[in-house]
Amino acid sequence: MPTSGLQSRTRQAIDRAQEEALVRAAQGDDGHALRRLYEAYRAQVYSLALYSVGDAAQAQDVLQAVFLKVFRGLRGFRFHSSLSTWIYRIAHNECREHHRRRKPFVPLEAVLGSMDEVDPQPNSHDQHARRERDRIIQQAVMQLPFHMREVVVLKYVEGLSYDDMSRVLGCAPGTVASRLNRALATLGERLRPFKQCL
Amino acid sequence: MSCWRFDLRKRMLLYLEGRLPEPKTARLERHLLDCESCRALVVSLRAGHQMARRLASLELESAEAPDFEPEIAGLEAAASEGGTPGLVWQGWLDRLATPRIITVLSAVVLLQLGLLVVSNRGVLLGERSRTSIAAGAIDLAGFRHMTISELKSNTQPHVATDGYVEHVHTDEEEGTVAFRLVESSQNKSSFVVCEIMSPIQMAPPAEGSRVRVYGVERYDAQQDRNWYEVNPVLSIVPLKP
Repeated sequence: MPTSGLQSRTRQAIDRAQEEALVRAAQGDDGHALRRLYEAYRAQVYSLALYSVGDAAQAQDVLQAVFLKVFRGLRGFRFHSSLSTWIYRIAHNECREHHRRRKPFVPLEAVLGSMDEVDPQPNSHDQHARRERDRIIQQAVMQLPFHMREVVVLKYVEGLSYDDMSRVLGCAPGTVASRLNRALATLGERLRPFKQCL
Repeated sequence: MSCWRFDLRKRMLLYLEGRLPEPKTARLERHLLDCESCRALVVSLRAGHQMARRLASLELESAEAPDFEPEIAGLEAAASEGGTPGLVWQGWLDRLATPRIITVLSAVVLLQLGLLVVSNRGVLLGERSRTSIAAGAIDLAGFRHMTISELKSNTQPHVATDGYVEHVHTDEEEGTVAFRLVESSQNKSSFVVCEIMSPIQMAPPAEGSRVRVYGVERYDAQQDRNWYEVNPVLSIVPLKP
């Protein structure tokens, strides 16, 4: 079930102090703490994975692989970055691995239909129209090249800052800004034919 | 792509979000008045930004969530038996990370860095002299002049080589411009890739023109490359065809 980007950006996971206490407990293999960490970050990792690999079954595989690595690597976590940055970084690496083995995407128009086949938006409050709009935007994002798709999802879905994105992706903030520019410009251009129903 | 103000282009999203500080906003807006290419980019960016803001988070139904109970139970069992076998080395790491060991390691790293600076001073001087070239402060006669095919056997860092310009390519992500310099239109197999670090300070040459390129020679051994480079390019002098 999709939720709005705004809702996702304001979603509170757990605060820093709680997070540290939880990690310390989880480092002692406290099952309750491990379950809570999984519950706190599951949604974010799944969303990033699904946008990155474009397939629900594969996204679940990524989610599983990420948390296995998180659980196994947690004892080595030294609080040099925030836990979320560390988890996103593992997720980024896992998504990149899956992306290398992916099947090629079909063109956007083949997924969405031509402009004539897409229902124009009759009423901005109409639920069906909103779902259609979300689907078009999601598909357009999933069609972006992997490195562009990631920055868009990290910024607009996960709500990360440029600095956090730079730490997760392992590149300079300037490179993040350039990628984001190219991604958004590409998105704007690709969705131009669908503008009237967005 | 006809504008090399990468510095301003990187700030456009902050500008659209209203998060760019005032002096930088004024500078960007002055540039937008003059630059059609950047105005077009702002329009596309704004459309993409507005759509991306509507991007929904894709959530997993609880029933589909992977089950970690066996994994968690395994970790708990290992902990109750006195530690996870695979993580025994972690205790050694903790013991190794004493202040004394860290001090010794830091000293070794600093020494290595010092040696690196000394051994690469020619390259570093070359990098610094790029700006002084603009002021005409570098002696171009100090560069070893050779043909492109002779670059393979060269051992000097500073070189000058002649050729025809091909494939001028902008890497917008890095803010650099690269081009291929070929020995002649008949012999394109002999080439060197030339990279300009700051295209604002040094305009790339036109494709097809004949130029002499001054710079630091390197070999790029990455898997899909394996070629010689003049990187960074320190000066470009046009030659008669």
